[in-house]
Amino acid sequence: MAEHRGALQTFFRRRIRSKADAPDLAQEVYVRMLRISDQEAIRNPVHYLYTVANNLVKEHAVLDRRQASGIDIDEAPAHEHLETLPAFDGDLDATQRVARLGVVLQQLRPKCRAAVVLRFTHELSYREIAIHLGVSPQMAKKYVTQALGHCRRRMARLG
Amino acid sequence: MISKDEQVRAAIAEQASEWLVANDDGPLEARDSAALAAWLKASPVHVEEFLGVSVIARDLREARSDPEYSLETVLARARAEDDTPIQPFWRRVIGPVRGISSRRWLTAAATMAAVVVLSLGLFSLWNVRPIAQVSAPGATTALHFETRHGEQLSRRLPDNSVLHLNTDSAVTIRFGKTERLVTLTSGQADFEVAHDPEHAFRVFAGSAEVVAIGTKFDVRLEGDSTVVTVVEGRVAVGPSPLLKKLGPQSSQNHPPRFVQLGADQQIRVAADEWPATPAAVDAQRTTAWLHRQIVFDQEPLERVAAEFNRYAPKPIEIATPALRNLQISGVFATDDPEAFIAFLRSLTGVRVEVTATRIRVSQDQA
Repeated sequence: MAEHRGALQTFFRRRIRSKADAPDLAQEVYVRMLRISDQEAIRNPVHYLYTVANNLVKEHAVLDRRQASGIDIDEAPAHEHLETLPAFDGDLDATQRVARLGVVLQQLRPKCRAAVVLRFTHELSYREIAIHLGVSPQMAKKYVTQALGHCRRRMARLG
Repeated sequence: MISKDEQVRAAIAEQASEWLVANDDGPLEARDSAALAAWLKASPVHVEEFLGVSVIARDLREARSDPEYSLETVLARARAEDDTPIQPFWRRVIGPVRGISSRRWLTAAATMAAVVVLSLGLFSLWNVRPIAQVSAPGATTALHFETRHGEQLSRRLPDNSVLHLNTDSAVTIRFGKTERLVTLTSGQADFEVAHDPEHAFRVFAGSAEVVAIGTKFDVRLEGDSTVVTVVEGRVAVGPSPLLKKLGPQSSQNHPPRFVQLGADQQIRVAADEWPATPAAVDAQRTTAWLHRQIVFDQEPLERVAAEFNRYAPKPIEIATPALRNLQISGVFATDDPEAFIAFLRSLTGVRVEVTATRIRVSQDQA
């Protein structure tokens, strides 16, 4: 089962990497977000967003293969929903994207880079990051915010 | 030049990052949750940027096996940033123009290089590879342990080391490719380190850093200082590079980065004082808590009470100031405050009242 899903995800990741997909997908996700009630959206907006986006990616993949069924949408943790998402940053393939992210990260000051890597690569809490970097937890969050914003802008070439 | 559209989008990317981090730090409060939902519903560009930022976080998560992203590498570089004196802005822009200032700058740079060599030398003495030379992928496993008030815990770790955690303590341990990295965030811990020269055992605790290979030692956070006691073997203790800027202040008498400690030696590292001098102690006393005991040899009641209060459900309060210096000797059980109360009651001139919330010790007037 897990193996099956892994194979599917690999397939989707390959499948969805076409130029036009990302903004279209965002647009469709947006429209679906508008349809849901405020109450539902407010309970956990991020989880909802990821689920909607993920389902859409899966639907597209199914349509492309002209298969009408066979996809189970289970209750995976929020970050697993992310695995099928395209990168929203143009036409880079996975290897190019990893290389570019490496370059973009190097443009950050070391503490800022450390904070974002400790948070997402190593899953340290903001408190732990603060201890390791000798700053306050608020500062640790600020570093992570700056780093994410910088990476996103540079990855999407927004100057 | 970037267009107006791109500037707007960059600003939205910024907002998306702020929302992601806010949401990442535990569940949002209802009001913030509603604000985020409203922000997402405001524009498809908001949705796209939020998803874009999320994907960056995902890509970072998947970069786990890349040595460039290893815990040791990013931390070493972040620490190097701390140790680098900040260059004045004008110097960065126009460079060293006048001879005098550039020579002074060169001297400073040379001193700094000497300090780096010194610390690398110490590391090789300890048969530990310097942390910056990490080449293997850093698949890191982390373990976190916490104890509540009055609680203790002992665990054998995956590397066969044994961790004992005292009351009100928290520790995180990460096993990296080249290091065993421990952070003591509160309380007291005792480490029986399994011998492994390939993976230095580094403890970051408040103001101090302890480096060991295979030994048994105790680390306690006490206010602003950190107290390290060695039971067996040897460890190196230095000021924590995480909290202190270790820049070269005086080139001639630069204090050593680490002081070596042997069995039955103890060192107290205060936040802003280095070097510190080790003192001889009976390490068995420091680690008596492992057997749920506290040992006192002619110590003032004030200190004894503070020690008891680390474990006791009801705090001991000294109501008569004169009693604070009353000398106490004895061996007591941390989990049996009754025995200690009985002992206090046996002292002449001491009165003990046990109320619902505290144990009040005062001078007996009679």
